[in-house]
Amino acid sequence: MKRLIAATAMVATGLSFSAAQADDDMVFVGHLMDITGATGFIGKFYADGVRDALSYVNVNGGIDGTVLDSESVDYAYKVPQAIANYKKWRSRNDMIAMQGWGTGDTEALISFVAKDKVPVYSASYSGHLTDPTAKNPKTAKPAPYNFFYGASYSDACRAMVQWAAEDWKESGGSGKPVFSHIGDNHPYPNAPKEACAEYANELGFEVTAPVVVSMKPGDFKAQCLTLKEAGTNYGYLGNLGPSVVSLVKSCDTVGATPKWLANIWAGDYETLKTIGDVENYVFPAMTSFWTDEGVPGMELVREISKMSDSSGEQFRTHHYIRGICSVYYMKEAMEWAKANGGLTGENIKAGMYARQDWVPAGLEGVCMEANWTAEDHRGINTVNIYNGSAKGGDFTVTKVNTVTLPRRDDWLGY
Amino acid sequence: MAGFSLRPCGDFRTTYRQDTRIFDTTYIRNAAILGIFAVAMIPFVLDGYYVNLFIQISYFAIAALGLNILVGFTGQISLGHAAFFGFGAFASAWINNTTGIPVLLSIPLAGLMTAAVGMLFGLPAARIKGLYLAIATLAAQFILEDFFARAEWFTGGSYGAAANPVNVFGYEIYDDFSFFYVCLFFLVVMYLLGTNLMRTRDGRAFVAVRDHYLSAEIMGINLTKYRLMSFAISSFYAGVGGAMYGHYLGFVSAEGFTILLSIQFLGMIIIGGLGSVKGTLMGTVFMVLLPEVMESGVSALSVFEWASSTAVTDGLAYIKEMAIGLAIILFLIFEPDGLAHRWQQIRAYWKLYPFSY
Repeated sequence: MKRLIAATAMVATGLSFSAAQADDDMVFVGHLMDITGATGFIGKFYADGVRDALSYVNVNGGIDGTVLDSESVDYAYKVPQAIANYKKWRSRNDMIAMQGWGTGDTEALISFVAKDKVPVYSASYSGHLTDPTAKNPKTAKPAPYNFFYGASYSDACRAMVQWAAEDWKESGGSGKPVFSHIGDNHPYPNAPKEACAEYANELGFEVTAPVVVSMKPGDFKAQCLTLKEAGTNYGYLGNLGPSVVSLVKSCDTVGATPKWLANIWAGDYETLKTIGDVENYVFPAMTSFWTDEGVPGMELVREISKMSDSSGEQFRTHHYIRGICSVYYMKEAMEWAKANGGLTGENIKAGMYARQDWVPAGLEGVCMEANWTAEDHRGINTVNIYNGSAKGGDFTVTKVNTVTLPRRDDWLGY
Repeated sequence: MAGFSLRPCGDFRTTYRQDTRIFDTTYIRNAAILGIFAVAMIPFVLDGYYVNLFIQISYFAIAALGLNILVGFTGQISLGHAAFFGFGAFASAWINNTTGIPVLLSIPLAGLMTAAVGMLFGLPAARIKGLYLAIATLAAQFILEDFFARAEWFTGGSYGAAANPVNVFGYEIYDDFSFFYVCLFFLVVMYLLGTNLMRTRDGRAFVAVRDHYLSAEIMGINLTKYRLMSFAISSFYAGVGGAMYGHYLGFVSAEGFTILLSIQFLGMIIIGGLGSVKGTLMGTVFMVLLPEVMESGVSALSVFEWASSTAVTDGLAYIKEMAIGLAIILFLIFEPDGLAHRWQQIRAYWKLYPFSY
């Protein structure tokens, strides 16, 4: 019994200590992450980037002296839990901005955050989060408080298709190249399906019927034979990690080897390493890589990485670095807000529109130049395209092109 | 004392009317009414987080009661309840968006549509049962999930569908404070309907089908009719719950209604107590609050220095997920009759104290 009382007293002291710490110069930023759920295996990398960046900002003076009180909660990709957390943070902690994660939770929260005026920086790159005023008649619901760092799934796919059209010409291909969308029948792989197919058509591709491949890894030889019969030259991979790995391996077995165009979550060193043997694995990246040399901003990234790895030697994926960019855009928008009327969600949103060709200080060469406006939340319309190949344990990643897409009105929110 | 508060030893019910009362004693009835008034005070007393939890409990509890009518009362099985829940959400959004019927009406209409779909998938129940039926309903889960992702005219496809907020006499209910009362209304009405159903001829037929289908048939109960009816009522509840969920979020996305949610619904009724209306509510409260309690436990630990490192927080996140599973297993072992049974025992303990026989 005595022990119980002692333990209760300790917890109570701890709680009152943390309550005493909370002063006026502290604002709350929520962080939803998925490290144990359906998208945990990449969610973890991104979450680490966000967490480390938030801690680093605090250790180094916060937002011009204002401390970021943040809490990282693993919601395991369950929408109701994400909403409960959001409500908790909103009603108890007076949250002014949030770092979010997936498609399901981000979309469920659109109307709540718009009403509460809480800017959300998610890692869901769905095209329809880019239309803040529903200017495009196709947009069902405006998303004025949603931001993400990177090109939308649709834009990244369009950029790769544009690259593929040039590649087809350069490699001396004759006739129409064949393009196929490969992915599960699920909101996330489907997000760029129509947008990308339309653009491929526009550029003179022959677009086949989409090939449905489960998000869970398995034997996909039948689907690969379909690709082989269709004569696919460029196959867009809409799924994630393990599923993509087993698809590429299955296709290798049956001799279907188109040039793979992977989406942003399916293209990284880890995936290449797991596939083990592949050529022509093309994927977009929105930051430089951990191993890149001579990039000025990488120094800051390495410092941030030390927040959870004091040795500074742990390898970080570009998903991790994207998490850092997401926090740093928010940080600078907050700094602007603090200097222009105070730290509120509304001012932070205005801070997102305050700069043009914007790269957060210290991250030059890492984060790309971004432009957000009140009518257009396509922060980035430039996509760096990389080609990866792996053979017998050696793998290389080389940059093949940088595509800048036009800001077409009919592509807004789509 | 015992006369007005608890039923004394021995059973003094002498008429059918007494036997089929909703509340055993007037005291319990008054307590229940007072309880509803107390719950109605929640938004005035507690913050938005609790209000949100209550809203979650109410739409899940309505759907779970549907499943309990099917599984607990009629003895059928369904592994596709989440799909019906999702169908209700899409149906209500679709009805409201295409015809302009007010949301408050489209919610029960969506329930009716879901009931029709549920009957369709319940048809095999006329011939098969047990494990075979479980697999047939599992098919419903997959077919409907695929339908959500493909039927653009109905669900908006992978994009999802926008669901308008509840609109009462031109006043839009956007905030949780007002939506809370919509939920409370539906929760009370649906639970009263559920309790009443069990007092009717049809409800008793369900129980007869569950207890021994052959005897039931010999008694003149049309098995096919009642099994189908049970599927219809169960889906109606799922549809209403799903519709409330959709209108609360303002957006319905196909990815939210997976088999995991179906299993969660089964967890709710098993933990609460199969074949118990109030148990269903208890089980839902348990399942909704458990992750939240675990979460606050984990964040309470973060005041300690050792718990603030990334490795520990990540480890705790895994422990949190595992603890939920563990709680369910412990329930199955130590409390197979659910929380409703435990509640009866607690009541009996106080009533008989200090003589527990």
